[in-house]
Amino acid sequence: MLSKKWALLLAAVIVTSLILAACAPATPQVVEKVVKETVVVEKEKTVAVEKEVVVTPTPKPEEELITLNWNFGTEPPTLDPALAEDTTSVDVIESLFLGLTAFDPEGNVKGELATEWTTNEAGDVYTFKMRQDAKWVKYNPGTKQVEEIGPVTAHDVVYGIKRTLDPRTASGYAYVLYIIKGGEALNTADTEALSEEELQALIDGVGVKAVDDYTVEITLEHPAGYFPGIAGMWVARPMPKDAIEAHGERWIEPGFIVTNGPYMLAEWVHDSHLVLLKNPLYYDAANVQIEKIYGVMVVEASTAMAMYENNELDTTAPPLEDMDRIKADPVLSKELHIGPYPCTYYYGFTTDKPPVDNKLVRRALSAAIDRKSLIENVLKGGQLPANTFTTIGMFGSAAQDPDIAPWALDYTLGLQKAKEWMAEAGYPDGKGFPEIILMHNTSEGHKKIAEAIAAMWKEALGISVKIENQEWKVYLNTISKKTPVEQMPHVWRLGWCADYPDANNWLNEVFHPDKRNDIRWNNREFAEIVEKAEVSQDPAERKALYKRAEQILVDEEAAIAPIYYYTTVNLTKPWLQRNYFGLGGQDFFNWKIDWAAKKAALGK
Amino acid sequence: MAKYIIRRLLWGIPVLFFVTLVVFILVRFLPGGPFDFAGEKQLPPSVVKNLEAKYHLNDPLWKQFVDYLWNVVRGDLGPSFRYRNRTVNDIIAEGLPVSAQLGMLAMLIAIGIGIPLGIIAALRQNTIVDYLATFFAIVGVSIPAIVMGPLLIWIFALKLQWFPVSRWGAQPPYFLGFLPKPDITFWRHAILPAFTLGTGLSASIARLTRASLLQVIREDYIRTARAKGLAERLVIFRHALKNSMIPVVTILGPMFAAVLTGTFVVEQIFAIPGLGKHFVTSIGNRDYPIILGTTLLYGVAIVIANLLVDIVYAWLDPRIRFD
Repeated sequence: MLSKKWALLLAAVIVTSLILAACAPATPQVVEKVVKETVVVEKEKTVAVEKEVVVTPTPKPEEELITLNWNFGTEPPTLDPALAEDTTSVDVIESLFLGLTAFDPEGNVKGELATEWTTNEAGDVYTFKMRQDAKWVKYNPGTKQVEEIGPVTAHDVVYGIKRTLDPRTASGYAYVLYIIKGGEALNTADTEALSEEELQALIDGVGVKAVDDYTVEITLEHPAGYFPGIAGMWVARPMPKDAIEAHGERWIEPGFIVTNGPYMLAEWVHDSHLVLLKNPLYYDAANVQIEKIYGVMVVEASTAMAMYENNELDTTAPPLEDMDRIKADPVLSKELHIGPYPCTYYYGFTTDKPPVDNKLVRRALSAAIDRKSLIENVLKGGQLPANTFTTIGMFGSAAQDPDIAPWALDYTLGLQKAKEWMAEAGYPDGKGFPEIILMHNTSEGHKKIAEAIAAMWKEALGISVKIENQEWKVYLNTISKKTPVEQMPHVWRLGWCADYPDANNWLNEVFHPDKRNDIRWNNREFAEIVEKAEVSQDPAERKALYKRAEQILVDEEAAIAPIYYYTTVNLTKPWLQRNYFGLGGQDFFNWKIDWAAKKAALGK
Repeated sequence: MAKYIIRRLLWGIPVLFFVTLVVFILVRFLPGGPFDFAGEKQLPPSVVKNLEAKYHLNDPLWKQFVDYLWNVVRGDLGPSFRYRNRTVNDIIAEGLPVSAQLGMLAMLIAIGIGIPLGIIAALRQNTIVDYLATFFAIVGVSIPAIVMGPLLIWIFALKLQWFPVSRWGAQPPYFLGFLPKPDITFWRHAILPAFTLGTGLSASIARLTRASLLQVIREDYIRTARAKGLAERLVIFRHALKNSMIPVVTILGPMFAAVLTGTFVVEQIFAIPGLGKHFVTSIGNRDYPIILGTTLLYGVAIVIANLLVDIVYAWLDPRIRFD
């Protein structure tokens, strides 16, 4: 019976290995560290260039470091500034890489690497003077030592911008740099059809150059008053050429990555956690209080909530189901903070599909949404009713301006107007109005909103609405302007968030008839206004133009129904003092922890 | 025996080839591509073109398939589209050991509870013990992990403070590539999720063991064994039990393969960095290489599990021969 013995042996091996593993004495921590060290050193051998090394040992044992327990919510898809497209990646990048400019906690543009900047008369050439005390550093997780690589110079900025725009980098966000002269030409070049020299000519043709080691000059395609905001975006940041060329795609792993921000990447266990340590060589290190960020990647909001209640997280975004409990709880309600977040939730109309091709119908539908009641009864996150597309805090936003769709903010007026407009459109009390389709992507939250709004429309206007939903990518495909109009839903939901805080990022980039234009309109007046506002040098004129554009988009034509401005809802332990502004990533380096209070709460 | 195993493994190759082909074609039929959108932002066609060129999505479909197969043969499952700096090999190498650790513990719990419970229920048929066991089994099957997990967290982590709320207690490097350092941190983190996963599985094992054993004790050879005066204990453990395990082993194989390669819900609730989430989220992300890689891995696991099941059959039932 050979087979019988063989099977028995196999079973025995499996069981024994399990038991052995379970019984083996706990290996001392030191052994593990030694292993890691060897790995790093081995890989380091591939770097040919020897460099002068300045070593600063970490002053305190790790348990003593002032630590923030944070939830990133998901694995960051990348830490490469040229490739990042999502908020999680940007949150980490914000701590690791400095930009020429940055946003302060109120959302204003301020200098970061740039100490000052000037423009030429025409407004299309920007010159940034850079600080000279920013340094590239590398943290070695094996030896726990910090190595100084060299100063951050204008050449690194030039390299970073050109790397993002190089089509071979394949950056999804490269298009925000098309405003730089020659940027679009380079990024859209067909690399296979071009010779090496032709490609190099395109790279050299990009309008960014180092005047000297600490001065960058950037030439734009056209004047743009909002450019300083773009200059600080992650895709435009200085990047460490040597590290990238030495390690390829893996350059962002701990031990390889070279950074210049307030924190360094010390550990990254994918899908589990990521550890950031304070950079002792950061020029403003004296003002960075939190020494270590232990960031977990807990996707499930209810699990994160349980961790928060167990003091395993210092701050978290609570799940919607817990909002009523939190508001009623004497402790949690004090820890709740609701602040603005630069996004808008809206319903778009397919403006070439009857009956919503009639602007009276669209206005009636928009006006018949009781935004306040929706927020209080369905959303519960303290959102603000929206009467514009561009949200609060953006340059050129006319949010809450009573000249634009006042009926969106006052439901009594809205209801009255909606009924009038429906009657005027030939559908008094909804008579003769065909059933319309309202579509959203599959999600419990969107479904609740759609059901509430369909009920409001039925009650106010007497019309019937069919609600449909689709999986996210299928949905985005459905509502794009490539879809034939017969297959389009009449009304669909979307949201939009700011890349940089200027109405150009909203009105021009989303609704210009020749650009994305999911609403399928061809309003030339709107097009002219946003084009003029984009290049205007006069802030007052730009504001007035954007206000007029909103009036057309939301009120006169009602091509979209803005519903609410997002908020960020967070619980924060009393020992943490943090900011909530959501543009350009979390600014951990500005946060403060009352370490004694935290230790006391944890019972240490 | 060795010949049989080799033949079975060779048969696995065409099976895996067709699985790959079918999945490769199916994912391309899904509307929407991996790079159309970043969040809710539609990316301009020029940028999408660069991304597609980088990942050779602009090649003819047959060429992409042939290239993919060639790479797989060389052990390269390709880059991830979503996690731009990681490869599918990286993701599996990092996620699979964790999923396997959880899966093994859960299976131990499932078998450790399920089989004895089934035996006791069968031997004490129609007594209070049987009813209790059956009740437990029904409860176990009906409470999904998505309810069981948070419930256990609430009781044992938040209220009693015995265990941490979530996350995994082991980190690479692992012993033999997948066995964790079995320290207190590991066990404290492992118990709740392993229990959540294990009890759900144990319920169906218990039901099957009971039914199968009841059937076997009515067989003629059991009557013979009893008639020749064998002690009841020997009758059950030497003769009845072994045979009654055949249907149980049949489900244990695929169950083992499924649990070892990752379970989405339990890993999500307990924030465990296993492979389970990649099976699910890769589809939403249209991350073709991860969809293909995880499917292929699961295919391999099923082929091996079924082979092991067949080998165990021969041990359980001497009438089964392979040559």
